[in-house]
Amino acid sequence: MSAQVLSAKGVRFRYREKEVLSGVDLDVGDGEVAILLGPNGVGKSTLLKIFSGLLAPHSGEVALLGRPPASYGRREMARLLSVVGQDPPVDFPMSVEEYVALGRFPHQGLFGGSTAEDRREAGRALEMCGLLDLRSRTLGELSAGERQRGTVARAICQGAKVMLLDEPTAFLDIYHRVEFYEIVSRLSGECGISALVASHDLSLCAEYGERILLLSAGRVMASGKPEEVLTPENVREAYGVEVTCDRNPATGAVRVTPLRRR
Amino acid sequence: MRRTGPVIGLLGAAAVGAILLSLFTGPAAVSFRQVLDALAGRAASGPSGETAERIVLSLRLPRALLGFLVGGALSSSGVAFQALLRNPLADPYILGVSAGAAVGALTAALLLPGDAFLPLPFCAFLGAALAASAVFLLARRRSGVSRERLILMGVIVGAFLNAFIMLMVALAPPGRIPGAVYWLMGDLGLGTPRRVGVLLPYVAAGTTVLFLLSRGLDLMLLGDAAAFQAGLPVEKVKAATYVTASLLAGCVVAVSGLIGFVGLIVPHGARVLVGSGHRRLVPAAFLLGATFLVLADIAARSVSPSGELPVGAVTALSGAPFFLYLLRRDGGKP
Repeated sequence: MSAQVLSAKGVRFRYREKEVLSGVDLDVGDGEVAILLGPNGVGKSTLLKIFSGLLAPHSGEVALLGRPPASYGRREMARLLSVVGQDPPVDFPMSVEEYVALGRFPHQGLFGGSTAEDRREAGRALEMCGLLDLRSRTLGELSAGERQRGTVARAICQGAKVMLLDEPTAFLDIYHRVEFYEIVSRLSGECGISALVASHDLSLCAEYGERILLLSAGRVMASGKPEEVLTPENVREAYGVEVTCDRNPATGAVRVTPLRRR
Repeated sequence: MRRTGPVIGLLGAAAVGAILLSLFTGPAAVSFRQVLDALAGRAASGPSGETAERIVLSLRLPRALLGFLVGGALSSSGVAFQALLRNPLADPYILGVSAGAAVGALTAALLLPGDAFLPLPFCAFLGAALAASAVFLLARRRSGVSRERLILMGVIVGAFLNAFIMLMVALAPPGRIPGAVYWLMGDLGLGTPRRVGVLLPYVAAGTTVLFLLSRGLDLMLLGDAAAFQAGLPVEKVKAATYVTASLLAGCVVAVSGLIGFVGLIVPHGARVLVGSGHRRLVPAAFLLGATFLVLADIAARSVSPSGELPVGAVTALSGAPFFLYLLRRDGGKP
């Protein structure tokens, strides 16, 4: 078993009186793409915010590369961990290239200028996400899918080995969802990046994810290979919906299909 | 990336041009030759020549330089507030900073005996600092300072202080605060070589700090959470930006009164020229604002043969329509 890049032990968190996470345990190994599933409001985003240091757990322990997030300096942490949110800014006043280059900030120093390496890294990230031709546009001129690739490019540009992705495909059509997971699996395969992806795409996750963590009622209800986690019983318990789970004849990956209520 | 070096060079040239132009403009009859003589330091010939030299060097030049510093400071402060509040309609005045400075200056003029001219800038500065800290502390919560609360508290404190200014002007003994009305509308007539000298280090330091923070200001445009995750110590940068921009605006109000709209419109004009990256935007806005205010002051001095308009009236006359245009272009989105 490889070293853990992200780990949570008995993490509890509440917003005012309402407890969202009640004892979450999970690990993400080095180079692994783990997918975090669970119904709306179950605390997926909250858990990611705890890993990125935006929120502190009320009890339990969280670690990024063996140390609690709060123990890192901001810039030091940004060199290790990047985050892709679910709603990229639409009316951002800069060009795609400038926006992506903002990701170089933790390597530049608060007062410094950009170097040749910064420009090279920005170009590489743009290329990986297929945005080279669009780099002079503003984010508002892009489609939702292109804009989301822009935020991924900014995160790639940040050069971190660990990525958190919070429902990045929430507003995308099927083409852009596939495109998106292709980029993530390439990042993992070619760059050795570990990722924790919060998502609602059950079948796509089964196709791309190495491991699935199913969050329900404030805990990790099931964890393991897609075919172990995505069973009708587990999905019913987590989401309250009846499904059939079979295999995709083309790829052999688990396929989850909801059943109509009778 | 756009090539913006030439644009900034042109803006610098425009600012120098505006200052030169203002040396040749004014009610007193000073010939072209006399201005050149005065600038070159050549001995003035005869009493009319000495007067001309004094007008150019002691009145027009300091006034133009004051306009340069004030316009530049208000504009770079506006850039900072717009980034800090992520609001294109923010300017140094929205947070009640200028009103605080005005209350400080008027208090000095009313309470201090005799010619309270000297402590006035200091008291204005103090007023600005107090108002800025009050707004910041009121807007602060355990989780940090939210932009919405900052604007809300700024507007509330500003409204209160503005009403207080009216009260002070209304209740002041007649003749106690001459020129108050002018000052409240913005007036560069207080420019003396000494004032310019006092203001220069503050403006230079404040603008330099904002320039150094420009990467942070870029990231602030992403929003608090994303900026934090991108590696920015958000709360520290917010506080540094807020203090610097407030004090920049405050020390300017102290010497020139309330000149509106410069800090609001100039950043937008500069964005059209050099884009939104703050490493270019801060210097470009400074130079554009400096040029704009020097030219506005020339207009204010030239509009009437007998007297002059407060320069704040000129900036508002040209600024208010632009403000409306901005609002309409965004479909009235606040």
